[in-house]
Amino acid sequence: MAGEKKEGRLLLNILHEAQEKHGYLSEHVLKQIAVEQDIPIARLYGVVKFYTMFHTEPQGKYVIEICGSPSCVLSGGTRLEKFLEGELGVKVGGTTKDGMFSLYKTSCIGCCDEAPAMLVNGEPHTKLTVERLKALLKKLDGRGAGRKAKEASRA
Amino acid sequence: MEALEKARSMGPEAVLELLGRKGLEGRGGAAFPTAKKWRASRDAPSDERFVVCNADEGEPGTFKDKFILRHNAETVVEGLLLAAYVVGAKRCFIYLRGEYDYLRPRLQEQADSVLARAGMDGVTIEIVRGAGAYICGEATALLQSIQGFRGNAMQKPPNPTTCGLWGRPTVINNVETLACAAQAVLFDDWDANLRLFSISGNVKNPGVYEFPLGVKMSTIMDVARPARRLKAMSFGCFGGIMPVDEGMAITPEAICMEKCHHGAYSIILMDETVNVVDISYSIAKFYCYESCGKCTPCREGTVRMLNLLKKVREGRGTKKDLQTLQELAAHIQETSLCGLGQTCGNHVLTSIEHFPGDYEYYLKKGKK
Amino acid sequence: MKIRLNGNEIEVGGGKTLLDICRENGISVPTLCHHASLAPQARCRVCLVEMDGKLVTSCSTKPREGASIITNNEHVMKARRLNMELMVPQPSCRREDDLEVCGIYEEVGMKGARFANIKEYKPDLGAAVIRDNNKCINCGRCVQVCGEIQGVHAIDFASRAHNEHVTPYFEKNLASVACIRCGQCILNCPVGAISERSHIDEVLSALADKDRHVVAQVAPSIRAALGELFGMPTGTLVTGKTVSALRRCGFARVFDVDLGADITIMEEASELLRRLENDGVLPMITTCCPGWILMMEFFYHDLIGNMSTCRSPHEMLGMLIKTYYAKKAGIDPKKITVVSIMPCTAKKFESTRPELGSGVDFVLTTRELGRLVKMKKIDFASLPDEEFDPALGISTGAGVIFGATGGVMEAALRTAHFLATGKELGRLEMAEIRGMDGIKEGKIVLNGKEIRFACAHGGANMRKLVERKDDYHFIEMMACPGGCIGGGGQPIYRDPDTLRKRTEALYFADRASKLRRSHENPVVKQIYKEMLGKPLSEKAEELLHTHYVKRDRF
Repeated sequence: MAGEKKEGRLLLNILHEAQEKHGYLSEHVLKQIAVEQDIPIARLYGVVKFYTMFHTEPQGKYVIEICGSPSCVLSGGTRLEKFLEGELGVKVGGTTKDGMFSLYKTSCIGCCDEAPAMLVNGEPHTKLTVERLKALLKKLDGRGAGRKAKEASRA
Repeated sequence: MEALEKARSMGPEAVLELLGRKGLEGRGGAAFPTAKKWRASRDAPSDERFVVCNADEGEPGTFKDKFILRHNAETVVEGLLLAAYVVGAKRCFIYLRGEYDYLRPRLQEQADSVLARAGMDGVTIEIVRGAGAYICGEATALLQSIQGFRGNAMQKPPNPTTCGLWGRPTVINNVETLACAAQAVLFDDWDANLRLFSISGNVKNPGVYEFPLGVKMSTIMDVARPARRLKAMSFGCFGGIMPVDEGMAITPEAICMEKCHHGAYSIILMDETVNVVDISYSIAKFYCYESCGKCTPCREGTVRMLNLLKKVREGRGTKKDLQTLQELAAHIQETSLCGLGQTCGNHVLTSIEHFPGDYEYYLKKGKK
Repeated sequence: MKIRLNGNEIEVGGGKTLLDICRENGISVPTLCHHASLAPQARCRVCLVEMDGKLVTSCSTKPREGASIITNNEHVMKARRLNMELMVPQPSCRREDDLEVCGIYEEVGMKGARFANIKEYKPDLGAAVIRDNNKCINCGRCVQVCGEIQGVHAIDFASRAHNEHVTPYFEKNLASVACIRCGQCILNCPVGAISERSHIDEVLSALADKDRHVVAQVAPSIRAALGELFGMPTGTLVTGKTVSALRRCGFARVFDVDLGADITIMEEASELLRRLENDGVLPMITTCCPGWILMMEFFYHDLIGNMSTCRSPHEMLGMLIKTYYAKKAGIDPKKITVVSIMPCTAKKFESTRPELGSGVDFVLTTRELGRLVKMKKIDFASLPDEEFDPALGISTGAGVIFGATGGVMEAALRTAHFLATGKELGRLEMAEIRGMDGIKEGKIVLNGKEIRFACAHGGANMRKLVERKDDYHFIEMMACPGGCIGGGGQPIYRDPDTLRKRTEALYFADRASKLRRSHENPVVKQIYKEMLGKPLSEKAEELLHTHYVKRDRF
């Protein structure tokens, strides 16, 4: 590694762009990147799987990452996490069957002064309450309460 | 651009002398003297050098860098260019954590704008997008990440300062440090003792507060306004958990006395309704998730600590389990490869020492 | 500089790691992730020593002037032990497995297991090389070796924290990805999480079947290494004992693959001369290494024309056993089972290639033969020396050096020179292509023309040589460092001098041979006279040559 230098774009940025373009980093997409960037596919896969924000499977239209770190826990975040699991009918790590939501638990997202907080498609939603979550889900999905009864997890 | 202009009129050597004299230390948690770091990179023989702004703020309870990026990004960029000037770097990076990606468009604009006005030939600034890994805030892992590898921490030596990106000398500085560097150069009355505290937890007014070192705990509580009596405070996840003492002055020495570390002055406050074991458990989960997995003690030890804490919380824990927990925590800290492993047991060791009653509660619970 | 080592003041040279210093001073320090040829990873944290009171990894730490190093106090021992406990929750060490990790258990004084094993992985079966991540200790040696030394990079770490595990891309099995089956990963795994797919059961079945005529054919590299599995010094030539051990295992005949190597030389030297005379595709590249063949088939499709069409020696001999020998011995070829004893895991894959028909039925590695001999309770070291079975047992020194890197080239040139000029090549031993340098080259003159040749061993070196291939007329490719004597099926070794010692044994056998040129071998002459006609004849093409395919590198 010492003595070489990387010209061109950095891999992290390439992967982000590919994921944004294709929705997720499929085998096909990664093979293309492996060829273009002259990286062994095993190594590329290993890099992708290291980072929690890269996904190798199709994601829901809305990717929810709810924070589980101490400040959010102290503000009641755990209860909200359970609420979301129940509302969406999906366990953390899963995607709803209709492909609308993927739910993840994440480490601190730096919104500790507005806890509890979560990211939805990378945008922060803070000072969460059950009410605010209900309203947000309704706004995103249009269907609101009652999902739980119909949906099952794809996880 | 004033700081940069002033620096260029002084020359790199004078800037280094100034920063050293004013006592600027790293604000990412390790408090390494900034001038010393820049000088080492500058002096290391090489055809090329790099500077990196570490915007991978990930320590739970820390949000001061986000605050600075939101409200004063131009000063950060100026500080980055200042470092590039002093060190002799052309290619600059801002490693922005994936969770702050929503700040990127504006940050890119501001970086472009500052660069355009800076008049530094051949200097570029690239924003590198993190992808969700706390460990990439650690210097060696950050460099691995930029170079397109898994974010594994690497053994030191070699030290990134003299052998970093692609084997070249690389300066890595925290967001706040770079902003302070620009301000220290520009303002004669810049005070190294003023720090940005991230205050959160069981308080009504969480937020970023600027205090001088030595601030009394009571002052912090006055502004943060806990709803109930405060019981414990944690310095991020890594620094350890200690009892809240209203009369205590927040200094590195005082915190060290309680076997804790101040880090970047992120204080998570817990009130009397909280059992510290529950917080320890969520911290253990954090480490179990964020460990890069490379070295044995951290990779295997963090999950064992989590399992033991789980066992305790479920009322199945024994005194022997607590002993094993302490043994593991001490061992992981002693034999891990990087700062994450070396501090991931602090919460266990300090919570067992300072809050034995909280553990007793769970040990007794199982016996009922 | 001066340092204190366990209380004694010593003088040490600059730039040495604590691990090197300890070993040079006779102090044993356990290591697992450390690899002699690669930069230290400092992953396993077992090589801990105390430097000025602080625990450091000796593999990656260099001392300061005046440092005090302690390697043997309770602080150090306890830390090493706890890391071992965390790494291998439930040690199960059987003496016969001779795993590196077992020696370390003893060294650190591990007694019990305090932690449960939490790994739950599905084993990767189906290829010649099989993996079980449940045994893995994440030392990373397999990844390093596959990537840096072999240049294949079929596996890497994926996921994070305690979910970190070694895998091909997208969790596929090795059988589905560009793995060249060289088995270097097996040689470097300290816990036996990677091993070869065993065919001992199939061979035992065949041996027990009274209807079958089961013959063994022994590769050159076996005789230089099998003794290591029975406590004999590295580099002891055990040809005679190998033959008698195989007979006592129940094999009806034991043949020498060296004879196959001699036949390969006749065909390959002739093929080279034909290309030289008729403006054929050059450079010609040897094909006795199935690992190299797979590398070409996965990654270098445009080299397909450069590949010699010759089968590898054991595949050639296998076909001759089922035709020439079967006829001579009056046995129905359908009742013959040919078992090749090979230093190689890729040959297990090779023997299943449809292009090769059914010359070879099963391949056992040197290690598997060792297990078979032990299963049969045969006292190897006390066996008398026996000779290979005649008719297909006389070989030359040329054939025996096939196991060493540069050996095929040397043997081929001895014969090529004779076939081209009618005169013997003046010097028999070509020092310029012997030895452990990654790429070696040389030149000779054939009928006034300068012929340039080169040899590479180890995957990364093979790749480098591909880049420069057009500088040469003839190239030997060996996927395993050291050549076949360092093959993925050979005994796992810790003595860093092992490859050199095994190679020496083969060169010794060459020097001790009465016949040192393949074209002098009377059995070779007889086979051509009676059946094949001459090299590259129609019959030879049918039995002894093959073709290759293009495989998706993904």
